[in-house]
Amino acid sequence: MNALDYLILVGSMLAIAAYGMWRTRGKSDFNTYMKGARETRWLTIGLSVMATQASAITFLSTPGQGYGSGLGFVQNYFGAPFALIIIAAVFLPIYRRLKVYTAYEYLGHRFDSKTRLLGAGMFLLQRGLGAGLTIYAPAIVLSTVMGWRLDATIICSGLLVVVYTVTGGCEAVSLTQKYQIGIIFVGMIAAFIVLLAKLPPGLGFADTLALAGGFHKLGAVDFSLNVDRRYTVWSGLLGGMFLALSYFGTDQSQVQRYLSGGSLRESRLGLMFNAVFKIPMQFFILLLGVLIFVFYQFERPPVYFNQAAWSHEAQRGSGDRLRALDADFTAAHSEERRQLHAWLDARHSGNGAAEAAARAASEAAQRQGEAARTETKAVLGRAGSRATANDSDYVFITFILDYLPHGLIGLLVTAFFAAALSSKAGELNALGSTTTVDFYRHVVRRGAGDAHYVAASRWFTAFWGLVAIGFALFAHLAENLIQAVNILGSVFYGAPLGLFLVAFFLKRVGGTAVFWAALAAQALVFALCFTSISYLWYNLIGCAACILFSLLLQGLIGMSGTGGARTATP
Amino acid sequence: MKSPPDDESTGLPGLRTWRRVYLFVLIVFVAWVGLLTVLTRMYS
Repeated sequence: MNALDYLILVGSMLAIAAYGMWRTRGKSDFNTYMKGARETRWLTIGLSVMATQASAITFLSTPGQGYGSGLGFVQNYFGAPFALIIIAAVFLPIYRRLKVYTAYEYLGHRFDSKTRLLGAGMFLLQRGLGAGLTIYAPAIVLSTVMGWRLDATIICSGLLVVVYTVTGGCEAVSLTQKYQIGIIFVGMIAAFIVLLAKLPPGLGFADTLALAGGFHKLGAVDFSLNVDRRYTVWSGLLGGMFLALSYFGTDQSQVQRYLSGGSLRESRLGLMFNAVFKIPMQFFILLLGVLIFVFYQFERPPVYFNQAAWSHEAQRGSGDRLRALDADFTAAHSEERRQLHAWLDARHSGNGAAEAAARAASEAAQRQGEAARTETKAVLGRAGSRATANDSDYVFITFILDYLPHGLIGLLVTAFFAAALSSKAGELNALGSTTTVDFYRHVVRRGAGDAHYVAASRWFTAFWGLVAIGFALFAHLAENLIQAVNILGSVFYGAPLGLFLVAFFLKRVGGTAVFWAALAAQALVFALCFTSISYLWYNLIGCAACILFSLLLQGLIGMSGTGGARTATP
Repeated sequence: MKSPPDDESTGLPGLRTWRRVYLFVLIVFVAWVGLLTVLTRMYS
């Protein structure tokens, strides 16, 4: 990055922070602070929902997922349209009718106080841990760009987010989210165009797809019924639907977005906007990663994309081994590139036999290169390097820094951080709101004034920011970032979703039954983490278990005559 | 004349009821899955 890039980055970040603080100056009205002015139009809601979910992790990690594993991850989002329709048709009208601040208030209306606290507590636990991951993502970028230590970067960037969120507040961030996601789209499209322009002369788009397909990167759908496979159409439809239903329907960071709508119509259309565009957006980002993979078959990539970690270890005891592996990788990549050019010539001249031979030779060379990369990761792992498990998260930022022109680098890094700050601010604000509304105002101190609760919410927001920094510091991720977020969500979303589905659809089940059922279902999901079942099924199983246990327990309670359902419905 | 209830009006030309909006979303979804299936079959 040069002075122009830094000017764009620093200027934009300061401008966003200043704008947020200016727009929220002197605000102490609790209703406005929690829900905004409730005049938001559907496009703003739609983009805000998208911006909250499509955080820096989406922008950074998903191309790396496409680079490493191809398009199959898109199936993870197949359930989202169905979930969003259910939320728009069932959840949303009830939330609006009750005029709740948080989704968990509804559980209090429908069941009792302890069930409300359980739902809110599970959200705080899950989202508090997840918030650490969204601090970890921009820290990766900063450590790569600046050459800083990852832990120091986590602390610095995390504190910046906390200060910005607490002082600027969420309302201003929500207002800027639609512009921020606009910047992200412009940046991604620009990167896509530059990438296409940098592919070798003579490599057409059809050749590119054929090459990517040959390396098994274009397998977007898998109809197999094997539950051990992480991404299939069925796990995406069922598991993905329950994940999306939980995230969009019961996670306060999303519920808060669409409750700000001026009417039910605006909120619904905002959700339908996401139902239509979520899959194409994820496909586009994954395709970008696949194209980066094709690009790096002709341009030598680093043997390890986290070059800061590689350089650090290369100066220590493992240096000779790492340099030898780097030389092996260079030789293998040169041979692969030579064979791919031969494949391209044969393909264009219609020589099928030569095309097949060159393809086989290029695949063999690619396997040799991958072996060198795998061994490099193992050496770094044995040496105790921190971020060694999956360097695919560094793929996109490496491409940006090495091949995009100055100015555009600044724009992309700015967009990346703008997304990180906005989604982080939304998450922290939801954590602060839930702690204030569902615990502090409901249990600790009732009847205080608006200014008091707004101040309390700011303090709780700062507290959760510090918790998130702590989690990010001690997290050692064995998964690609975007997968890690989804895995964490899957572990903690199933049982809370079961709480809400029982509340909406099983009117004869009462608070005591559903409370203990949710705890038992959560214990079951924890046990599943030690099996080979794909994490996408955790939501479905956790939710189904919660519903089933609720019915059984309600039956037992009914027989013993010790308690019953609350008959009043919202 | 009574205005339509809040949850009945979509304000979208051609998609005047929420059922039609939801159906439209599902049709778009099926089209995407179809395209991705073709892509997978062509290049696997």
